[in-house]
Amino acid sequence: MICERVREQIPECLAGRLDHAARERLVAHLETCPACRAELAELNAVWIGLGSLPEPEPDPAMRSRFLEVLEAYQVGRASGLAGHAKDPVRTFRLPHVPHIWQAALAFALLMVGVFLGRYLAEPRGASPDVAQLQAQVENLRQLVTLSLLQEQSPSSRLRGVTYSYQMAQPDAQVEQALLYAVNHDSNVNVRLSAVDALEKYAANPQIRRALADAVPVQDSPLVQIALIDLLVELNDKEAVSALRKLAQNAQADNQVRQHAAWAIQRMEVSQ
Amino acid sequence: MLEVRAGDLGKLELLFDRHHRALFRYFLHLTSNRAVSEDLVQEVFFRILKYRHTYQTETRFCAWMFQVGRNVHLDHAVRHKAEVAMPERGWDVRSPGVPPDLQAQSRQEAALLRRALAAMPPEKREVLIMSRFLDLKYEEIASVLKCEVGAVKVRVYRALRELSDRFFALCGERAS
Repeated sequence: MICERVREQIPECLAGRLDHAARERLVAHLETCPACRAELAELNAVWIGLGSLPEPEPDPAMRSRFLEVLEAYQVGRASGLAGHAKDPVRTFRLPHVPHIWQAALAFALLMVGVFLGRYLAEPRGASPDVAQLQAQVENLRQLVTLSLLQEQSPSSRLRGVTYSYQMAQPDAQVEQALLYAVNHDSNVNVRLSAVDALEKYAANPQIRRALADAVPVQDSPLVQIALIDLLVELNDKEAVSALRKLAQNAQADNQVRQHAAWAIQRMEVSQ
Repeated sequence: MLEVRAGDLGKLELLFDRHHRALFRYFLHLTSNRAVSEDLVQEVFFRILKYRHTYQTETRFCAWMFQVGRNVHLDHAVRHKAEVAMPERGWDVRSPGVPPDLQAQSRQEAALLRRALAAMPPEKREVLIMSRFLDLKYEEIASVLKCEVGAVKVRVYRALRELSDRFFALCGERAS
């Protein structure tokens, strides 16, 4: 029994975390117990071996990818939540996008400049050109968003979701791509961001329906809670029956059930 | 972290610089896959960003971060049940000035130790990683694993004991 208690202290002793009195007791026991001395020697060899394993360094590009996500998140919140003002907007910078898209955007902006110049130089009445160019820029944004959403890396897909905030008008294809991300993306963070981004499209009753349908089939409690929060924010009373089923479903996550019950209460109070 | 929680999101860059390596190594020991580990680190910091308001001041940031990391890894493990084998390249022990035969021996021992560690049951491997590589106190490990400090003490010892058995068994196989 004494040996067992002493041996449990060996890792702490090897890590140098044992206090003085405990270390003294351990040493006193070791002086009289050859079995525990052998145990200490063997575990010490493995402990030192673990310490001498090389510590691999992450790819330095990981840092820049994180900063891109951080910036995109800040910009996404700044533009997406301008009306909500949940967070003070500290900075406003354009999000980082891959060089090819930067080049494409630069080209589009150049074309806008060229055509605007021509438009201003010519007599008035050429406004359809400008409208056409605005449509082209919007199409380009749509293209960038859709392409990023199909990337393999979760970080790129996250940028795709935050880039969707840049679109001035709701777009059916982007709407469907975001909905697809909510239901099928393998990465929980992409799904969570897509839920936030779909708030902009919530005027469409079909989207509200799809969001409510997505709640019970999600495998991540975090995403389920985010969806429930959005339905409460939208005060989508048609979702109450689906939420009631979820709240009563014994198979569902306990926190999700509690959150669904809270959501029903909130929506019923606001009636 | 308090500043991040208050809305100064730029401060998260500082926390990333301080802690991303430890987090990367934690995931690398758990998943044996560099690319997956890097993605999981990104996920942890994204969740910290998104759920910053849930950070409690009485918890040390490091312990909270590893709690988030643990959840991220559990979510990943549910989706990818088959673990990928630890890649050998890039993990060599390099000791300049040590004779080549001794270098070869320590490389071999390091490879066996990694194999033994990778073969451990995940919950034992995790507690050993936290105690040996992450410089977490037993109280902090207990808060991440949601158990008593006494239980951590016993778990770390048993995990080290099992690793030792596995390692010396592999050494014996190699010798014979």
